[in-house]
Amino acid sequence: MSARNRELLGLLPASLLIVAGFGAVFLQEQTQLDNLSLTYGAVFLGLCFAAHLIIRVRLPDADPYLLPIVAVLASIGLVVIYRLNETLARDQAQWFVIGLIAFAATIIFLRDYRVLERYRYLIAAGSLVLLLLPRIPGVGQQANGAYLGISLGPVSFQPAEFAKIGIIIFLASYLRDTRALLVSRKRFGITLPRLKHIGPLLLVWGLAMLMLVFIRDLGSSLMFFGGFLAMLYVATDRLIFPVVGFGLFGIGAWFFASTVGHVGDRVSAWQHPFDPKLYEQIGGSYQIAQSLFAQADGGVWGQGFGQALVSVGDSPILPAAQTDLIYAVIVNELGLIGGIALLLIYVLLIERGFRIAVLARDSFSKLLATGLTTVVALQVFVIVGGVTKVIPLTGVTLPFVSYGGSSIVANFVIVALLLLISDRARREARR
Amino acid sequence: MLQPTAIVLQGAFLLVLFLFVAWVVRSTLRDLRRPDEQRAAGPPPADATGIHSAVTAGAAPSGPGDPRLVVERAPGHTPGMEYEVAGGAVLGRGEQAEIRLDDPFASSAHARLVLQGGRVVLEDLGSTNGTFLNEEAVSGPQPLHQGDRVRIGDSEFLFVDS
Repeated sequence: MSARNRELLGLLPASLLIVAGFGAVFLQEQTQLDNLSLTYGAVFLGLCFAAHLIIRVRLPDADPYLLPIVAVLASIGLVVIYRLNETLARDQAQWFVIGLIAFAATIIFLRDYRVLERYRYLIAAGSLVLLLLPRIPGVGQQANGAYLGISLGPVSFQPAEFAKIGIIIFLASYLRDTRALLVSRKRFGITLPRLKHIGPLLLVWGLAMLMLVFIRDLGSSLMFFGGFLAMLYVATDRLIFPVVGFGLFGIGAWFFASTVGHVGDRVSAWQHPFDPKLYEQIGGSYQIAQSLFAQADGGVWGQGFGQALVSVGDSPILPAAQTDLIYAVIVNELGLIGGIALLLIYVLLIERGFRIAVLARDSFSKLLATGLTTVVALQVFVIVGGVTKVIPLTGVTLPFVSYGGSSIVANFVIVALLLLISDRARREARR
Repeated sequence: MLQPTAIVLQGAFLLVLFLFVAWVVRSTLRDLRRPDEQRAAGPPPADATGIHSAVTAGAAPSGPGDPRLVVERAPGHTPGMEYEVAGGAVLGRGEQAEIRLDDPFASSAHARLVLQGGRVVLEDLGSTNGTFLNEEAVSGPQPLHQGDRVRIGDSEFLFVDS
């Protein structure tokens, strides 16, 4: 079976999920099966089919599993968001269409993605500006102590989602040129790159860190820094870089936890979520504690669609259920078994991404695929780790599942880039 | 209160999820056992500046024994000819170039090799058509490793270090 036909077949599970999921939610909420459930399934299937056609025409050799995996994740997200709030689901479906347009535009206008290398300093500068935007008075918005969103008229979006792609592109291009130089000098038996070579990297990293202190979002800073270290490791094959890097990050995190109030609160909420004082406090451990209760309540098989207690009257039982805590809602309703299925699908997505990096023949493509995949992987880790009390909870989205326009669009661009890399790599390998 | 139909639908939902996971895993494992797509293209040159090997080769700067550029194919050169480059060299079409290139795509001073910290480094001198190291355009200095291919226009050289 050819790669494209396999991709087409892979879209079938996604549409089945939509139909079964919407059907179950309808039954629970309205106790009668509605045709609307089937309509949703059909529209969704149509969108996936459109994406498939674009790939079939423009990228005939691209990885066949990436689009089906994304479709399955998006359909789980739509079902759960629909179950939480019908209006949000309609918004999300619209964002899905816009994401698909961005996906198509990336594939059609960026035929040879290596032109991106030419504009790397422009891309880096643009990304830094995007990161800084939320702090500018007038356009920026503060939410829970973090400056993440900006609003332009009726539209508000999170520029960090797009900045991460730009920074990965810059790092891939820069490391491609300098990776050999980074390890070419040895002093006292250890690799010590010249300041001239590592300087621009440290500068961009330092600026990104500084800005993240400004916009105060820990999740993003872990994502950026982890992606940076993964690319540095792949580029140089030196374990010393990630080891030293994580050491520095640990020191930095400890420093901010003890000095920045907003960060310190998050850490103590993480350490003692069931402390009555923290639980009652505004911005305390209520969210993480409720998330843990919801997941425990789900058990192995879950409470069933529509059974999660999201709010009583106006007071939320699960705050930010459609974004931060969507994983907790899924585990409550589908149980441990549903949570495992979701995480397995993410593992497959990441496996495909790294496989694309392995197959890619030139260093820029390899580094770009590694960086993009690592950022998605870390984003899943940050939010799932947060709601399961592995690490302090910070609000990032669960890629393709959480409600959120910027996240959907940015992640579609990431998938488009991975497909572009994959198409080139597999075409060259076949020759 | 759960509807029996809802329970069935939810079971179907989970079943589809796991079948999907199994399908992708099975295909992935089959790919790994029969890695045609990778093998067909052949591995990149063993020691050359590929993504991993180059850097590993750089780990032991034994010092260049006798760095040379071997002509693979070049207008006006016999394949197999060797140029000593331990003292550095300029490649180009001009009179000043140590390695003269009779190549319409070469600039007069196209690229140079310099010895830096016991290692031969290739640098493009702002040429019009670019210098390629293992078919990747060179921008900025690139240390050379055993087996690297340097290409300028239609002229191609192999870097030998021992």
